[in-house]
Amino acid sequence: MLHKKWWKLLSFLLLLYTCTYGFLVKVPKLDDRMQESIRNFFFHVPMWFGMMILLFVSLVYSIKYLRSSSLVHDVYAQAYAAMGLIFGVLGIITGALWANYQWGSPWVGDPKQNGAAIALLIYFAYFVLRGSLVDAEKKARLSAVYNIFSFFMLFPTLWILPRLTESLHPGGQGSDGNPGLNGKDMSANMRTVFYPAVIGWTLLGVWITTLKIRVQLIQLKKEGIL
Amino acid sequence: MLTLLQAQQAASQSIMLQNGKIFLVMSVVCIVLIGLFLYVNSIDKKIKQLEK
Repeated sequence: MLHKKWWKLLSFLLLLYTCTYGFLVKVPKLDDRMQESIRNFFFHVPMWFGMMILLFVSLVYSIKYLRSSSLVHDVYAQAYAAMGLIFGVLGIITGALWANYQWGSPWVGDPKQNGAAIALLIYFAYFVLRGSLVDAEKKARLSAVYNIFSFFMLFPTLWILPRLTESLHPGGQGSDGNPGLNGKDMSANMRTVFYPAVIGWTLLGVWITTLKIRVQLIQLKKEGIL
Repeated sequence: MLTLLQAQQAASQSIMLQNGKIFLVMSVVCIVLIGLFLYVNSIDKKIKQLEK
């Protein structure tokens, strides 16, 4: 997987498609409050989908580390968490920009905004924890345990609490299921761009992550740890 | 007035200036995307050399 080329090309083609057809595809007018800004759906929302997928992969490698005690798994877990966090930060910045023009202020205290901020802070603490430990094995073990906790904090902060109260985001109280995945909430036209966009952005994230993993594996080999 | 007319004629010719110049934005985004991928790909190649 690390050295195969086809999925990197796929990522490029899907994002090229997103960045062209995403501007051209016919979007619903509704009451014209959103106007063309609904096209942000192809850029802002895939950041969050990508973040969740990368953080899930990070969780898998943390569990693998606890089972194997192999530092390679720790390198993987750390790199995937870092890229997931970058996607999350990009998501929150793009969200604030969009909110400024759609809701009138960059931070309106929307339950999903607050939940996302808490989730990101929990993941920032993962890197604070890593940075504060010197012994490689202790660092890997403690941060793997913490990473499992961080991932499960995504459930209340992103997936449960924002849906229980009224929210400016789609998918608040009174709507059914995930607005990104629930077919009823998105026009068929938009879905033809949205799903490829999610795959494309996620694959780009995986690519950048694998670069970081490879550099760190080279470093560990140089230091004689591997 | 005449220049405005000429500008409008030019607008009807160049695809870049049609539909509120959305194709212009699209081109800019695509150039950014292509540049980004070229850069990531070049890093990938450099790491591959280091691995050998």
